[in-house]
Amino acid sequence: MERTVTVVPEDGLHARPASQFVETANEFDADVQLGRADEDDLVPAASMLAVTGLGVGHDESVRLVAEGDDAEAALDALEDILSTPEAKQ
Amino acid sequence: MDVTDISTITPLELISLEEPPATKEGAIEFLLDLAVDAGRVDDRDAALDALLEREEEATTGVGFGIGIPHAKTDAVSKPTVAFARSTEGIDFDAMDDKPAKLLFMILVPAAGGEDHLQILSALSRSLMHEDVREKLLEAESKQTVQDVLAEVVE
Repeated sequence: MERTVTVVPEDGLHARPASQFVETANEFDADVQLGRADEDDLVPAASMLAVTGLGVGHDESVRLVAEGDDAEAALDALEDILSTPEAKQ
Repeated sequence: MDVTDISTITPLELISLEEPPATKEGAIEFLLDLAVDAGRVDDRDAALDALLEREEEATTGVGFGIGIPHAKTDAVSKPTVAFARSTEGIDFDAMDDKPAKLLFMILVPAAGGEDHLQILSALSRSLMHEDVREKLLEAESKQTVQDVLAEVVE
């Protein structure tokens, strides 16, 4: 299953949101991949290096694709992170 | 990475083949001092604070044996990338628990907009390729390291 999500955090999928995203992707019994919504290429959501390499900014859209027993729960949790504005410190 | 060319971002003096200190903070200071000694940093303390603040938010140990400490700071006036490598690897708090052997420090001016993220993502994309990591680990001269990084820029 897949869904497209807009990245809300101000710094994009970077720093703490990226770290939370990758940690969460690792928690589920699901194989999750992501890519820019306007491109076909997908990279493993469980890899910090891959997620950093995407360089997704604020207000850009990503496509999440998940397979496995927990696919839906994983997508819900990951969408939640991407939709949460980061509290500025 | 269309920020500028590699000889400007990473001149040979920003590349070290010497062994850095074995701790994360020690290694970050080592990388920073390459830039300081090259005359690229106006305020060492401010740059170090910015780098450590970023580490505190979330580690830049991105896995695959790579650490990319980075910050936006007015302590530099142009995009600067320093390189060092560790034979044994350094604990960079990476999620995959692999010690960081390839170390890159990125500093860009605070007014540089998204330059630092562009450099960071270009570097990360190229480092996903095992052959790029191998070349950097095995490079026997600073020139070879710079040549590999030049391919990243293209």
